[in-house]
Amino acid sequence: MNSKRLFVIMEITLAVLVIVLAFVMVREQSGKDRCRVSVILPDADSSQWSAFRYGLKTAAEDQGAELFVVSTGDKLTLEEEISLIRSEVGNGADAVIVQPAPGDGAGQKLAEISKKVPIMLVGKPQTETEGDSLLPVTGPDDYAMGKALAEEVLRDFNGNVEGKALGLAAQDMESVQAGERRRGFLDALQGRGTRTSWTVSLAAGDTDGGPLNNQSKTDLVIALDDTSLTEAGECTASRDLHGALLYGIGNSTEAVYFLDTGNAECLVVPDEFSRGYESLSETVEGLGNFFHKMESKVLSYTTIRRKELFTKKNQEIIFTMSQ
Amino acid sequence: MKTKVLDWIKRLKPRGMQSTVLLAFTLISISIMLILGSVMYIKFSSLSQQETVRDTEKLMEQTRESLETYLVGMRQISDAVYYNVIKENDLSYQDGRIRQGMNTIYEANRSHLRSIALYNDYGSLMAAEPVAQQKEDPDVTRQSWYRKALAAMENMHFSTPHIQNLFDDAARRYYWVISLSRVVDLTDKGVPTSGVLLVDMDYSGISRMLQRINTNTARNGQYYYLCDSNGEIIYHKKQMQISNGSSRENNAAAAAYKDGVYEENFGGEHRKIIVKTVSYTGWKLVGVIPASTFAQGMFNIRYFIIMLILLMGMMLAVINRIVSLRISRPILKLSDSVIEYEAGEKPEIYIGGSQEIRHLGYSIQRSYEQIDGLMQEIVMEQNERRKSELEALQSQINPHFLYNALDSITWMIEGERNEDAVFMISELAKLFRISLSRGQTIISVQDELQHAKSYMNIQKIRYKNSFTVDFDVDPAVYLCCSVKLVLQPLLENAINYGVSSMDDCGEITVAAQRQEDTVILSVADNGFGMSEEEAELVLTDSDRIHKHGSGVGLVNVNNRIQMLFGKEYGLRVESELDEGTTVSIHIPAVPYTEENRKVLEKGHMFRREEINKKEMQDKQK
Repeated sequence: MNSKRLFVIMEITLAVLVIVLAFVMVREQSGKDRCRVSVILPDADSSQWSAFRYGLKTAAEDQGAELFVVSTGDKLTLEEEISLIRSEVGNGADAVIVQPAPGDGAGQKLAEISKKVPIMLVGKPQTETEGDSLLPVTGPDDYAMGKALAEEVLRDFNGNVEGKALGLAAQDMESVQAGERRRGFLDALQGRGTRTSWTVSLAAGDTDGGPLNNQSKTDLVIALDDTSLTEAGECTASRDLHGALLYGIGNSTEAVYFLDTGNAECLVVPDEFSRGYESLSETVEGLGNFFHKMESKVLSYTTIRRKELFTKKNQEIIFTMSQ
Repeated sequence: MKTKVLDWIKRLKPRGMQSTVLLAFTLISISIMLILGSVMYIKFSSLSQQETVRDTEKLMEQTRESLETYLVGMRQISDAVYYNVIKENDLSYQDGRIRQGMNTIYEANRSHLRSIALYNDYGSLMAAEPVAQQKEDPDVTRQSWYRKALAAMENMHFSTPHIQNLFDDAARRYYWVISLSRVVDLTDKGVPTSGVLLVDMDYSGISRMLQRINTNTARNGQYYYLCDSNGEIIYHKKQMQISNGSSRENNAAAAAYKDGVYEENFGGEHRKIIVKTVSYTGWKLVGVIPASTFAQGMFNIRYFIIMLILLMGMMLAVINRIVSLRISRPILKLSDSVIEYEAGEKPEIYIGGSQEIRHLGYSIQRSYEQIDGLMQEIVMEQNERRKSELEALQSQINPHFLYNALDSITWMIEGERNEDAVFMISELAKLFRISLSRGQTIISVQDELQHAKSYMNIQKIRYKNSFTVDFDVDPAVYLCCSVKLVLQPLLENAINYGVSSMDDCGEITVAAQRQEDTVILSVADNGFGMSEEEAELVLTDSDRIHKHGSGVGLVNVNNRIQMLFGKEYGLRVESELDEGTTVSIHIPAVPYTEENRKVLEKGHMFRREEINKKEMQDKQK
């Protein structure tokens, strides 16, 4: 090989390596841009989201992401939610985690936005009834939780619930979440001779317990979400449920309190910490890896009885709710 | 495939001297730089690791001190409640003072405290601050802090964090606390009894301390956690993940360590563990430095060293090129000049560069000059040889000699001397047969002598026997090699310059003898002779004009002999005025064979040893 050619090849190779190295050094020094994830939840400051927010915060620290939880009012319509998502995307959000607001076509509308930025749902949208969701969903198996709650009822009555009157309450009985839980609950009691006296949808933040006070007397009141459980717990504490036993699904310290004070018989607690942690981790992973497709995750739940309320495991659940 | 790769590598192999020097220098430089770089990196890495560990230890020491101060504060609160409030008052009738005392202490420390409570030995609440409604049935006797206090009554006990399960909080909240419990002596209606004093510390006080140090070091993967002496976690940034099994911690092992720095492999990662024990509680403050943290810290140094190596590499490549150019340029110039010289483009060899290369240049130049000289000599010899042979050939057909011979024959025939005429013709025929000799240059001495005899017989008739010729020949020389027609010019000279003008008393003697390895053929006459100076000129002055004969001078004969046998052979002239002249031919005694003849005619000169060897071989045959 010609010495001049050899020299030129050597110098060019070294120069290219120096440039590449300098580029890598500058990139390392400037650090990776932290991805920003916005979270939109109805009544985001409510205590029912405490464990979820704690999970989000922990995951954001672990993943090195910037977390922004949007403050929202008690009620959030689909239009408001879509508007908030667009606003967050406009403000530089790299991804959005959303609890879908009730409304027709929520899934399609969110899927439309997800073409611009990844969207992770923490609840099933209104139109998702059958089959796979268009968007990934991180959350508990609502049907299974409803069923688990029914099993606890059966255990308390040794399986004999013949003739028992039921009152079912949820924040929005028309929501997919409440629908699934109700279906799970009623499926488990099918053929047991129970009858549903009433079903009630409560408006979030309605603390006077009005809708429940006005219902007819039942043997059991089943609260299908945290808001309805809190409302029903209030009523039980003030003896307004006509002696009905309260069973429910909840994830706030208020819900735990009513169990602790004997106003609720049993509490099924979804793993809200994991919902927050997993949803954000999956979202950040999806952002960081072009080839990673965000996937849905089904999370666990815990059934808590009063006498087991302060076991080590349950204390940790309460700890996440207290953050 | 393998062959292709090998071929490719072979193609890469430098062929030029400069490339080789450049490549060698570069490889040496790179090796040295790599070794230096590695040593530097290892040194920096070691220092950096030591520095990180030192910093971590320092930070942990400060945190431990803060924790100890905090816990000492709690113990002081407990002591203050016990010694200043409980011990000084009777529960039954001084409960107001007790509550007031507890309230004062609580209010002074409320930022760290959740509650202060006093239970009797049945687990009944005797006093509490802040005043709150006790839960329906908290059953404190089953709670671990109560049991621990009773189990070791002389000590104060710090619990691990837990939910406070004592009071009904109207805000429906649950508090995460660390309980400090101890057995205390009570006085109830003047009767000494015992109870348990509980000081619940707000967990956030401790968690904030650890959060703060974790936040500062979160970026590089380093973290700290706190566990009790059994390894139960008090604070861990991933407490929930550990609890739900998505993350793991080697806390059980860490709890067993004494204070110090340890290395361990956990979760497939090598890491350094620094353990510090918090006094009194036996809690372990653990700092974890994963190997990746050190690597992260070393990124910049690693890049810096690589960058330095690359830049030095570039610089050294330039320097190496300059050095290799300086070393190889004179050699390349010398090589180029040799190539040009060989191609006949440039007549001079490059002389320059270092002393050794200059010497080499001079040597090459001298060699070429010698080769040139030898070449010219060879060309000249060849020309001489051709010229001599041409002259010799011309002498064979000297028209004057032929005319005289034929004239003599004619005259004999007219005088009816037929026998003489026949003799003359047959001698002439022998003369020409030997002269031609099928174009050979080398003939046997016998033939040469026969040729001389024929020639002299013809000349004697022509000169009417005015001189006598005598042949004195040693038969041993007959079968030696001789150059063709070397005697004829000598005889011609002897006749023309020696005996032709003498009246019937001229004598010519032709002798042939062997002296060791040399054959000597001589022609002696008793003519007028020559002076010494003139005799010397006979063999050196080639421009002499021959007045008589064939015109082939002795110089020519001498040259032909020397060209075929070497400079040591040739003619010797001995002459004395009025006494006569003897010209002798000295040639090596090479046996006359077909093989030797061909070898000699190709220009090969036999050395003495070769001649002896050949003679031995011929004798054996």
